[in-house]
Amino acid sequence: MKKSTPIFLLSLLFGMIACDPPIDRTAGGPAFDGTGYRAVYATAEELAVIKTQSPRPLRKPGKIYVQGNYLFVNEQGEGLHVIDNADPTKPRKISFLKIPGNNDIAAKGRYLYADNARDLVVLDIGDPTSIKLVKRVVDAIPPQNHPFLQQVYFECPDDKKGIIVAWQKVPMSSPPACFR
Amino acid sequence: MKTKIIKIRPNLLAILVAVMFWGCDAGSRSADVSPGMQTGVGGSMARFAITGNTLYIATKQSLEVYDITQPDQPSKTTKRDLGVGIETIFPYKNNLFIGANNGMYIFDNSDPKAPRQLSFYSHIQSCDPVVVQGNYAYVTLRNGTTCRQFASLSSLDVVDISNLSSPRLLTSLNMESPYGLGVDGNRLFVGEGSKGLKLFDISDPVKPILKEFRSDIPTYDVIPYRSTLIITGEKGIFQYRYDDKDQFDLLSKIPVE
Repeated sequence: MKKSTPIFLLSLLFGMIACDPPIDRTAGGPAFDGTGYRAVYATAEELAVIKTQSPRPLRKPGKIYVQGNYLFVNEQGEGLHVIDNADPTKPRKISFLKIPGNNDIAAKGRYLYADNARDLVVLDIGDPTSIKLVKRVVDAIPPQNHPFLQQVYFECPDDKKGIIVAWQKVPMSSPPACFR
Repeated sequence: MKTKIIKIRPNLLAILVAVMFWGCDAGSRSADVSPGMQTGVGGSMARFAITGNTLYIATKQSLEVYDITQPDQPSKTTKRDLGVGIETIFPYKNNLFIGANNGMYIFDNSDPKAPRQLSFYSHIQSCDPVVVQGNYAYVTLRNGTTCRQFASLSSLDVVDISNLSSPRLLTSLNMESPYGLGVDGNRLFVGEGSKGLKLFDISDPVKPILKEFRSDIPTYDVIPYRSTLIITGEKGIFQYRYDDKDQFDLLSKIPVE
């Protein structure tokens, strides 16, 4: 009995692996192409850090917004590129507004309204090289618990890891449980 | 050009113009991009919109309304629960057009702090930004597991909204993978995601005619702004000059690095 237990356990293990069918499509889900989305988490303290940085390259441009001669380009989940577009043949990057979890924006006069993960923030952009946070409305935005694309798989959100600020496409060996 | 007086004027004019441009050039170095009190313009994929002194936020399941009369102190005035799958908002005159997974909501916001739902235009299922011009709404519906479960085709719909309480589908054109769109006069621009950008002539607003399909410009969303089409997509930001005829000239690009 004692001698055969390890063999029994081993064969059970092999049995389990053998019974695991190869998954290339979760029931009702899209075709799995070897990639999925993984959440980038941040703590509330990290999320609250909003600052003006020097201009940086575009990596994942998202939504755009025009106000007078300014063109704002969202860097998905990270913040806004501020561009002087007075001459659209020569757009000039002025700064990068680091706003964790940002995807949306609207502006009126010198005030810019943006999502900062779950909060709505009001930024004074009178001087786009040195923005000031003037107001935070906590929990104005429901949590972004999935990537904002369709026909994708993603790792299910885990509150214990913090607040989701962005989603990254990564290689995956099998589709995670969540999809949309 | 014949009399002495007329000959002098072009020289004076040239001097004046030169002085003006010199003055302008000196001015543009400073932060003279100041926006005054004006409100900006977003693309069709926007969830935030400002009209007058009101900020609207289309969250995933509701329309949130903030009074920004005091711009640094937004105060929430009301909210409208709309069911899940809300994606986009497009303000137009006294109305808000809200795109959702299951259709399009039309609100009257002549009382900006208390938008009133007028109607709901439903598709089978869709993921749709919407833009409006005159009596017509242009809506893209993209095929996808959650968006169009029972349809395999994506489309561009032209909806008659002359009666806002009762929107009516007029035309539906097949598309590849439509995302954001923009309209200006007789031009309709539709992003086809990584597949590119389509330009339509809508001189007949009900019958968009495809004029160009630029597969070299991946397009997630567009903003037509003062004859410049600003395009955002996975390759970066492209800007093109357009007119009401055949012009479509590259002005600049800010590539992804």
